Amino acid sequence: MTTMTFNNTCFEKLHKSEAWMYTNVSALAKTEFAFATTFVDESIIREYDIAPANPLIVLINGKLHEEASRLCDGVTVNANHALQGSVASRGDSEIPSVECDTITIENAGKQTIHILQFVSGECPTAASGRVLIHASDHEEVSVAETHVCLGEETHLFMPLTEIVAGKEAKVTLVRAIRGSKTAYQLGQLHVCQEDSSNVQTHTITLAGKCSRHEVFAYLDGEHIESNFDGMYMLGDNQHVDNHLRVEHNKPRCNSREFYKGILDGNAKSVFTGRIYVEEGAVETDAMQTNQNIVLSDDANAISRPQLEIYNDDVACTHGATTGEIDEEAKLYLRSRGIPADSAETLLMYAFLNESLEDLADDEFRRALTGELLSTMPGGDFIRTL
Amino acid sequence: MTTPLLEIKNLHASVEGNEILKGVSLTVNEGEVHSIMGPNGSGKSTLACVLAGHEAYEVTEGEMYFMGQDLTELDADQRACAGVFLAFQYPVEIPGVSTKFFLKAAVNAMRKYRGEDELDAMDFLDLVEEKAESVSLNTDLLDRGVNEGFSGGEKKRAEIFQMAMLDPKLCVLDETDSGLDIDALKIVSDGVNKLRDAGRGFVVITHYQRLLDHIVPDFVHVLMDGKIIKSGGKELALELEAGGYVAFENCGTECCCG
Repeated sequence: MTTMTFNNTCFEKLHKSEAWMYTNVSALAKTEFAFATTFVDESIIREYDIAPANPLIVLINGKLHEEASRLCDGVTVNANHALQGSVASRGDSEIPSVECDTITIENAGKQTIHILQFVSGECPTAASGRVLIHASDHEEVSVAETHVCLGEETHLFMPLTEIVAGKEAKVTLVRAIRGSKTAYQLGQLHVCQEDSSNVQTHTITLAGKCSRHEVFAYLDGEHIESNFDGMYMLGDNQHVDNHLRVEHNKPRCNSREFYKGILDGNAKSVFTGRIYVEEGAVETDAMQTNQNIVLSDDANAISRPQLEIYNDDVACTHGATTGEIDEEAKLYLRSRGIPADSAETLLMYAFLNESLEDLADDEFRRALTGELLSTMPGGDFIRTL
Repeated sequence: MTTPLLEIKNLHASVEGNEILKGVSLTVNEGEVHSIMGPNGSGKSTLACVLAGHEAYEVTEGEMYFMGQDLTELDADQRACAGVFLAFQYPVEIPGVSTKFFLKAAVNAMRKYRGEDELDAMDFLDLVEEKAESVSLNTDLLDRGVNEGFSGGEKKRAEIFQMAMLDPKLCVLDETDSGLDIDALKIVSDGVNKLRDAGRGFVVITHYQRLLDHIVPDFVHVLMDGKIIKSGGKELALELEAGGYVAFENCGTECCCG
């Protein structure tokens, strides 16, 4: 049994604040959580180990599972890592954390380091996971995280990832939420970038009852490139909340937020993309986009693009679209002999694939495409192509 | 007597309650190229959409048969599988899937409809290479999103490429010449001409005569206010070019102008 600093009463009134107004997690305040370490069957680990040739770090309920991991140079795992003075301490996230191991990945080069974090237990279990990604000046790091809550319990996972990118450094991070549809995931990503660095992140939600992904980015240098992308496909009783705040603190930086998803049943998505442009951060180019396809009358997409700008010389754009499957495009496909239901599947796949196409890691893209198609109505048709 | 490829009798069609086609009759036999010419708003594109099975258009009266089969009983995809192809005036862009990927779905859907085995990846790619060459289409484009970021000329060439891939019996070209410069017009027309054979029929819808210099029709029909008011040979197109549609404006079916 680990000790914990976690007090779940904080969830009770969160939705009364502006930042949480569309995401109500008050049920968590009434849930009794366990924090036990546990064991995950090897066959399950293998199922999610999508790149056997790459380094892998496996954590179960926040603790390193060394036998299942393939550690490499540039990766260290510590029992503790203080939040104080870290990038995370700059943000105002209200998500608590449970004591856990911290994975530090430093200048690991081009190969993608895979991180597989499980939450498992016979009763509702709460866990955190900490990942610190550090690319020094001119260095490169690529990380693929997969978060899996197992079983039908109302588990709670609170992952926290930090990226520090030095001058001309490049960091790529993809994160996928897979597994159970009954779990809560409240995650934080904190990003700090220096001159001419490039950070690409992609957050993909294919599971969970309620997921909130917070992104806090600090563009502290000039000529920075930042992409924060996201994709989701959700059905009945699923909720996702992508909550971003990107701070342009210095001149001549480009940032992009590009989130798109498909909602079926009574699924709900919330997108809040705040761009903050500091006084003097001239020639800022920032874009935020949220696109949704709703397949049912009960599905609900809420888009809140927000801009907070303190100088004149900026180009900030935002766009949000929510609609049904495009009938003109459907007719076009049908006029080529593709039956109506297959045409719909193809258009849904195309819509989400536009987001997946950008994933640099082939194994990750393949695994997620596979999962996507097994979730999507008529997905088998796409597999045959 | 052989069954005509396409037989339209007194076709009336409406969109959102407005009658656009007001009694069109047209017979296309195998091997024939028919051109439908008419001013803006005469119903040319509506005719194309109705033939393809666009659900926004309602057939209120009349009949249309494709190889003896009642077209109104077939959905858009069934019509395509039966052998009707529409080259769109404004092809839709679909980012996220490539033209190759989408066409593989189309080719195999049609083969399945006809009870044939699906094409394997190699045979499919060979077919793509061969057909792309026939319309001078750079195959790199086919790995991009469907029509995504294509120029006007590339979109029209891609339509003709799709037509060649799907090998239809009846090809309906809806203003394929719009937005094309002279060079692109020639490439597209050459692509169409290569597909002309004794077993295939064409309905070429156009506003201008210039397309018909390249795709020489067997018959020309003038469509005005939802009706074909005059039919003739290819010389009718030249007459139209000289006098404009205005000269035909007061024509009725009994008209003897020209």
